[in-house]
Amino acid sequence: MIPLKYPQMERAVRYVMEKLDIELVDDPRYSCCPDPIYFKAGDRLTWMTLAARNISLAEEKGLDIITVCSGCTATLCEVNHELKSDNELREKVNGNLKEIGRQFKGSVKVRHLVTMLRDEVGVEKIAASVTHPLEGLRVAIHYGCHLLKPSAVMKVEDPLQPVILGQLIAATGATPVEHHEYLMCCGKACDTADLTLNMSYAVFDSVERSEADCLGLICPTCFDSFDVGQLRVSRQFAHEFRIPVIYYFQLLAIAQGASPEEVGIPYHKIMSDTLLEKLGAVPVA
Amino acid sequence: MLGGFSHNYCYQCGACVADCPTHRFMPGFSPRTIIIKSLYGMEEELIGPDSLIWNCTNCYNCDERCPQEVHPIEVIITLKNMARQKGTHLTFIDKIIERVGERGVTVLQTEMISKRRRELGLDEYKVDCIEDVTKLINQKTV
Repeated sequence: MIPLKYPQMERAVRYVMEKLDIELVDDPRYSCCPDPIYFKAGDRLTWMTLAARNISLAEEKGLDIITVCSGCTATLCEVNHELKSDNELREKVNGNLKEIGRQFKGSVKVRHLVTMLRDEVGVEKIAASVTHPLEGLRVAIHYGCHLLKPSAVMKVEDPLQPVILGQLIAATGATPVEHHEYLMCCGKACDTADLTLNMSYAVFDSVERSEADCLGLICPTCFDSFDVGQLRVSRQFAHEFRIPVIYYFQLLAIAQGASPEEVGIPYHKIMSDTLLEKLGAVPVA
Repeated sequence: MLGGFSHNYCYQCGACVADCPTHRFMPGFSPRTIIIKSLYGMEEELIGPDSLIWNCTNCYNCDERCPQEVHPIEVIITLKNMARQKGTHLTFIDKIIERVGERGVTVLQTEMISKRRRELGLDEYKVDCIEDVTKLINQKTV
């Protein structure tokens, strides 16, 4: 989704990884993870088989997988975990993979990039890479559902009292804001539009009361709900929200010296002069 | 059918309901009720054309809260798989699966995004997986 819908997020991730001196290995043989909502709801076994194929490509190179989207995290972490722990299921999936000459071995880790950075790089080193601290910027946290849950699979931390995003936002020099609805779902997967709008409204209302300058998140689907979706929510509830939404790695890249343009901030639908000023950009007229 | 056997462990405590965001805004939707209906075999209601299961937001709160490891969300996903076999699912799902089979990815490549990739200095997005993915999707497995 990120490369084909929000390439600014990919740009930001590549910028950050270069600054942290971490090499990314791309492989055009990857397919979609595939998505953990619709594809899984249609055909769970094929969904697992395609995910296992993707994981087997990393196994072939002996490399761990990082994901930069929470949906990818949900699919790849779950399938990796299930196939590592359930022999019967692994045999079934490997039976399917035989047709293309591949096999799932269970030899690599899959993690969202924020988890990998916390565990392998450390928050202090990330803070040390910041050259343009985002002082005075208040960032409302939105965790999204698929970084932390199900916790028995994700093993990141307690999904009821998470701290990882707060720590990483603080590393940029900004102030993380734990507003009332910071653990709420964005609602994107519901079939009834009213449900999606109500869930998003709950988040916007909470962020607005928190007086944050923007909403910070790590998932392109939540971004979809909150950036483009904000216009729909404003119409539906006759209340004009103007809450800019930023992907965490865009914030970190800017704190490491990138200009907002370089990481695609102008592509966002909702922006505010206050935020642009705080990010060091020239405000739009 | 994969998954969804854990509904037998449910003792109807309702922990899943209290933290369900769909229930908060649509009180008629309840993971607890879906589980008891699964146990009673109320197939028509659960996987018929107007089933409420499609309003699950896939947040996994029920999975976290359940003291019995019922994994209500996985039971709901299994019901969705059953609905597809019956032909009472969201047809959008077929489009997604078809698209992945044909292109390897869910999101369509558009000229606007290709232009943004160039503006951002990113390489053109390429996939080289279609042959494998088509074979795996067309396999006849259950």
